[in-house]
Amino acid sequence: MSSASSGRFPHARVVALAASAVVMLVPANLLPVISTNISGEARTDTIYSGIVGLWQQGLWGIAAIVFTASILVPFLKLAGLTSLLIASHWRPNRHARQLTRFYAGLDFIGRWSMLDVFLVGLLSGLVQFGSLASIEPRPGIAAFATVVVLTMLATQSFDPRVLWPTHQRGSLTP
Amino acid sequence: MHSRAESGPPAPAGIKNPPPPSDESGDESERLPSDGRFICRLCGYEHQPVRLARGERAVCARCGATLAKGVRDGADVPLAFAITGLIFALPAAVLPVLTASKFGNEHSALILSGVAALSHGGLQPIAMLVLICGILGPVVLLAILIALLLTTRLGAAPPPAALFLFAQQLSRWAMPEVHVLAVLVAFAKLGDLVTISIGPGLWFYGGMVLSIVIAWRSFDLEIPAPVSRHGEVIS
Repeated sequence: MSSASSGRFPHARVVALAASAVVMLVPANLLPVISTNISGEARTDTIYSGIVGLWQQGLWGIAAIVFTASILVPFLKLAGLTSLLIASHWRPNRHARQLTRFYAGLDFIGRWSMLDVFLVGLLSGLVQFGSLASIEPRPGIAAFATVVVLTMLATQSFDPRVLWPTHQRGSLTP
Repeated sequence: MHSRAESGPPAPAGIKNPPPPSDESGDESERLPSDGRFICRLCGYEHQPVRLARGERAVCARCGATLAKGVRDGADVPLAFAITGLIFALPAAVLPVLTASKFGNEHSALILSGVAALSHGGLQPIAMLVLICGILGPVVLLAILIALLLTTRLGAAPPPAALFLFAQQLSRWAMPEVHVLAVLVAFAKLGDLVTISIGPGLWFYGGMVLSIVIAWRSFDLEIPAPVSRHGEVIS
């Protein structure tokens, strides 16, 4: 990691990972992640339609939790990383302290995006009643999991030390 | 652009800064015998390791991140909870977490059932991810915690810094608490469709999660390994 974060393009790895995550956001949100077949009534759901379904079930709190974990957090992380990358062009940064805190927050929330991946696994592992009722995973969840892993790797690759005056590693030109 | 006063003087490599300020008067804190430097995992500022008193908190002198917390409950508590967590892991893996019944049929899911279902659905890499994040990661993390804490406890040779670094990396991917939330969401979501009940596996799994949190909370301080977040081992 350290070799990639020094030199002419100190953020090459972060940018590459974050850009890949943005690309993968498209199939992650468009492809169905789960298919449900209960009492002959079949439906497939994307991440978003699953949240709408929870809302229509009357489970507003649960819908809000899943919305935060699956849609808000990936978006916040990618937008936050972008602003941190832009901010790191002014070094030393006057707001380094706040930005470092912000980075720590981004790093903390990332793992909660895995909620939907766990959820799809649990639902399809539990509801197995043959033709009467069954839930199965769909490939969209693979795209979504890829987004989660890529955003986590991107956040981990960002080195908040570039916001501070003494960046001791590598040979950065001022 | 001028640097602000709060940033302090630039810290060239090799020069040690005064001990980090703590919440309470930390002046009486004695220095650790080891010569290791303690690098802020966020901003890279160097500090000299200090022994924190009970309830004290060391914050980075520059960016304000919490570096370590003083032992709150006694030195052996992290070890006790790490062992408890590892013991809980076995019933958590073999007892049902959720039980669903529909049309007179009953079906129980273990914590591993999701892995199997994803694998059957042709999503083996995702099954592997869930296995690592939900089950394997936490268990391996607990085992490493026990090994690290035991060597310190028994006064054996200090554990290799690489093991500490691995535990730090692994702790980012071990997310059993997210898994617990997923179980609860599944429980709420399926309530309309099938008759569903929570099994004993979830209580053991939840106990394991709590044990990890408590053991890990005091861990950073217990072994102030001079390891930075980005993989350099400084010693």
